Amino acid sequence: MGSCLHQHDCEEYECAGDWSLYKNIDITGVTALNETVEGSAKSVFKPWEQRSDLSTVLASNDDDAELIVFIPFTTDVKIKSICVVGGVDGHSPSKMRAFLNRDDIDFSQANDLTPVQEWELAENIRGELEYPTKYAKFQGVASLTLHFPSNFGADATHVHYIGLRGEATQMKRDAIANTVYEAMPNPSEHKYTKLFTCLI
Amino acid sequence: MVLEATMVCMDNSEWMRNGDYSPTRFQAQADAINLICGAKTQSNPENTVGVLTMAGKGPRVLITPTNDLGKILQALHGLEVGGEMRMTSGVQVAQLALKHRQNKHQRQRIVLFAGSPVLADKAVLEGMGKKLKKNNVALDIVSFGEDDGEKVEKLEALLNAVNNGDNSHIVHIPGGERVLSDVLISSSIFTGDGEGGSGFAAAAAASAAAAAVGGGGGAYDFGVDPNLDPELALALRVSMEEERARQEAAMKRSAEDSTAKGQQAGESSSAPDVAMSDVGLVDTTDKSKDMMIDDDTALLQQAIAMSMAQAAQAAAAAGGGPATTDTSMEESGGDDQDLAYALQMSMQQAAAAASAAQGSADVNQVLGDQSFVSSVLSSLPGVDPNDPNVRDVLASLQTDEGKNDDQATKDKSK
Repeated sequence: MGSCLHQHDCEEYECAGDWSLYKNIDITGVTALNETVEGSAKSVFKPWEQRSDLSTVLASNDDDAELIVFIPFTTDVKIKSICVVGGVDGHSPSKMRAFLNRDDIDFSQANDLTPVQEWELAENIRGELEYPTKYAKFQGVASLTLHFPSNFGADATHVHYIGLRGEATQMKRDAIANTVYEAMPNPSEHKYTKLFTCLI
Repeated sequence: MVLEATMVCMDNSEWMRNGDYSPTRFQAQADAINLICGAKTQSNPENTVGVLTMAGKGPRVLITPTNDLGKILQALHGLEVGGEMRMTSGVQVAQLALKHRQNKHQRQRIVLFAGSPVLADKAVLEGMGKKLKKNNVALDIVSFGEDDGEKVEKLEALLNAVNNGDNSHIVHIPGGERVLSDVLISSSIFTGDGEGGSGFAAAAAASAAAAAVGGGGGAYDFGVDPNLDPELALALRVSMEEERARQEAAMKRSAEDSTAKGQQAGESSSAPDVAMSDVGLVDTTDKSKDMMIDDDTALLQQAIAMSMAQAAQAAAAAGGGPATTDTSMEESGGDDQDLAYALQMSMQQAAAAASAAQGSADVNQVLGDQSFVSSVLSSLPGVDPNDPNVRDVLASLQTDEGKNDDQATKDKSK
């Protein structure tokens, strides 16, 4: 499964522009299954320059190396390649399986269904490795689900950065993201923080 | 205001026939489930709740997650109790039902009512908990009913396996004193939702207690939120104080009476009780004898004396008298279980006596009828009308009512 090093020195050539698909991710809709800290999945989508920053981590629960990350996009995108920076000492994921445009993937489904594509990953601390996709299949992607079934021998899997390279089209799939209508008044949502005096 | 889909796992096994939660364990559970459904849908109108039963032939989903309270109430209607609870498969079916929820943005939660003993191993439960955590499902456990010693430990282990950042809770509700729903309202299962949850809890307490006088509402004195309805709260407080004053006066009066009777043996004091119960056509002889075995017999005798004085008043007043004194007694009876029970029982007898009437029969008159009482007593096993203790009791009864005529007849019949 192809992994290629950059043919140039990254400091001279601006790679950052290529890896800007993270701006098209609907960050509030990013969820993960089997993460230790709720919401930590959102932190691994950041600019290319910060890919080696190990302070942000998506960690799986102890004794369980599996992770599923669900990534919805604000527009339909075309994904050319994916870069994953894993943890040290065997905490890096060793395999990756991708599903497209499905929001109901949990662990039983992930193991039953055939992914659109799967890759064998290598330990990639500095983020130099990128894994190209079968581009024809990755057109018109509204949501991407990544399943990491195993790692390099540690108890838990750590992911520090997930980078996506590709193009964003202007087409949106869903007009309304997530709206809650106030069908009945709920006092806890309308707390006054300041006193007001009324003149009689 | 968390957007959540909840599946409630209900225990309808044979263990639920027990009556240590009023009225039966099963009914208490159904009430609690209604409350939970209401709370969830009120805190966020897009929340959905579903119900499944775990016992019987197997786990059965009564209603898939919906935000329509009416459908949920309908599904809870006409359920039958029987079989054994299968906890693990019940939770797995709940997980499956949640997986197929319509709105994938909703968080997943299971509320488990564990009333019967837990048969599964601790290891199996922990494995189940880990699987729930892995799939981002929170679990609330309501442990009540049977406790075979291991149950608490197993459920705590399950909770620790599921808990992820304090999203799962457990509540242990021992039987007897309190109503299941009331304890739940004040527990973290409701307030764990955050501010929205506790807002509902207060409202639910107010509305539930308004329906049952003095019953629910853990937070407020009279079950009515003074903020919501100040005039009603004030009126209730004033009437409560008036009733207390009246009862204290009555207690004082009967305390003087009971010093005369207080020296008698327990058996003899059961005689007037028995006599009254026969007059009232209510068979509570067994209960009264059980009460006599209680430790604080003096308190009970005082209660009975007071209740007899009350019964006299009630019989004289007839009509709405017993009804009002009933409710007032229930309110003040919260302090002492035995006292409340004695009062209740005597009110039943008094009400029955008043209604089963010899018209507006005065209980005193009936008691004063020496021949009737002695015939009743002689028909009872173990009571000898010529027993000096019994005669003493009858004598004191007559002197209380101040009927010198009966005294004379009693002297004649000696």
